[in-house]
Amino acid sequence: MAHENSSGVLSYARLVTVARISNLTVRYGNFTALDDLSCEIPEGCTGLLGPNGAGKTTLLKTILGFVNPTSGEGTVMGKDIRTDGMAIRQLIGLMPEQDCHIPGMTAVGFVSYAGELSGMPPADALRRAHEVLEYCGLGEARYRNVETYSTGMKQRIKLAQALVHGPKLLLLDEPTNGLDPRGREEMLDLVRSVSHGRGVNVIVSSHLLPDIERVCDRVIVVIKGKLRTAGTIKDLKKLAGQPADVELREPSLAFSNLLMDKGLTVAPPKGNVYRVQSELPPEELLRVVQRAAIESGAQVRGFETAVRTLEEVFLEALTS
Amino acid sequence: MSNIKPIADLSYRNYDGPLKKPGSRWWVIAKNGIRIALKKKALWGLMFVSAWYYLVMLVVLFFVQQVTSSNPAGAQAMKAFMERLIWPDQFLHGFSYAQLPMLIIALMLGAGSIANDNRANAMLVYLSKPCDKREYLFGKWIGIALPIFVIMVVPTIIFYGYGALTFREYGFLKDAWLLPKMLAIIPIAAIFHASIVVGISSMFNQARNASATYAGIYFITNFFTLLMGGIWASSRGETPFPVKHLFYASIDGVLIGVCKAIIGTKGSAPFGIQSPGGVSQVPAPNIAAILGIALLISVVFVLIAWRKIRAVEVIG
Repeated sequence: MAHENSSGVLSYARLVTVARISNLTVRYGNFTALDDLSCEIPEGCTGLLGPNGAGKTTLLKTILGFVNPTSGEGTVMGKDIRTDGMAIRQLIGLMPEQDCHIPGMTAVGFVSYAGELSGMPPADALRRAHEVLEYCGLGEARYRNVETYSTGMKQRIKLAQALVHGPKLLLLDEPTNGLDPRGREEMLDLVRSVSHGRGVNVIVSSHLLPDIERVCDRVIVVIKGKLRTAGTIKDLKKLAGQPADVELREPSLAFSNLLMDKGLTVAPPKGNVYRVQSELPPEELLRVVQRAAIESGAQVRGFETAVRTLEEVFLEALTS
Repeated sequence: MSNIKPIADLSYRNYDGPLKKPGSRWWVIAKNGIRIALKKKALWGLMFVSAWYYLVMLVVLFFVQQVTSSNPAGAQAMKAFMERLIWPDQFLHGFSYAQLPMLIIALMLGAGSIANDNRANAMLVYLSKPCDKREYLFGKWIGIALPIFVIMVVPTIIFYGYGALTFREYGFLKDAWLLPKMLAIIPIAAIFHASIVVGISSMFNQARNASATYAGIYFITNFFTLLMGGIWASSRGETPFPVKHLFYASIDGVLIGVCKAIIGTKGSAPFGIQSPGGVSQVPAPNIAAILGIALLISVVFVLIAWRKIRAVEVIG
């Protein structure tokens, strides 16, 4: 669960911090892209959510040292973003949003070249290029010129060049851009597998909520350059008071009335689903619901703790 | 069939091998530029074309030597030919006639060096690695300058070696500093071409646009040089003061001026032929001035590239 520390920065208990941003402001002329943004990004997979133009890409570019902050400070893996850009870039792999490649190269040439640019010895870079291309599903096409690749393959090769030097932090900017549904699924599987149990921390910037929900454990919501909310997806989706959703075989007024008689709050049903709110612990609430179902003759088909969707969380952050 | 798993472990593994510290990426970039250039077959052909004057002179000198040595009256003919031949001027001709092929080589090596990266958004790949703008630009620049240097220096050394071994008695080694002088001129030409082509390439995102621009500058200014040379020749050296200086106001002119000034010659007709009607050559420019101009032009184009190279386009 995220909580605010003494300096007002959101931080996570018991997790190593990968990046720490304090009061970061970035301006392009009169336009403020990031406005006094402070946050901590813990290890694991973190989603950077926000509508288009929210400042997500600017935050990534500032972390990489492409953009000089107007004010504020930050560290990535303990390195200062203002002064240690080179050291940071040695630890980071970037998969940019735009199509990018080195012209006139085969996939294996491109990825091994990216490895050499990251500081790998040529022999290691070549060996590793074959490995990551295989991992990214481009093993069969590794000797083809990158310029002949399809959009999906170009996305994969961007991931391969970002992974080749074994980064400790991977920045993925809209990784599913332009992919068909199958390609999207495959890309999300790749991102999920690399970010869970492989020692690679990942920041995924996207405006696609299902993508973020699929691969990330935590999210940071940035809107108009400001941090709106941050935390684990699980925590953010929780509703106050921990209500439960009870699904019946068919709607039952008697069931609803019985629950209300026992002092529970029951929201109007959505189809066959009743949202029940109470101060009781979940196990006790389940017993009360079962008793009410028996007494009213209703058939319970499902019982689960009610949560919001990530979309509802995002919309709330957007309108707050 | 789809359930059959590969024998190899294709899951993601971390890389724990060595990583070199930043500071040597320019050589990775330069090596890549040279490797791509060497794959172009046309480059190998142009290498021979750029050395055509030296090759022809080697053949001429070889046959003159063979014919005169087997003929009783040959010694006199050989002496007369050698007296007409001004050795430093042969290097000046070799260098001058190499300039047009060298333009094409520079375009092949350099026109797309940054322009193609701009087109493919490759700057994001380069600059997101531990490689800064300085290393990127230096790597691209070396990747052009080094091959040009090698292409120019090899025929020069071969010709010098042949001359030094065969024509010592005909005054070939009269200027003991001739080879060091040539070895100083060739890097200047390589730097000059590399700087201009890198600067122009950085302004475009299509190699052909960069090629057309550099070729345009080259030919337009060269036409001007030829015009000034024509005025000079027809006036037999009695022209107004600016003509002999404006002769050098071109890509070719600057480099020929540098060569003339460093070798210390004003030139002569090629192949030891007597100038028709005693046409005089445009005298060498002031060495400090012409070197200053070459350096200034190189620096200006490198600065253009420096300003143009950026990982992200930031619009204020």
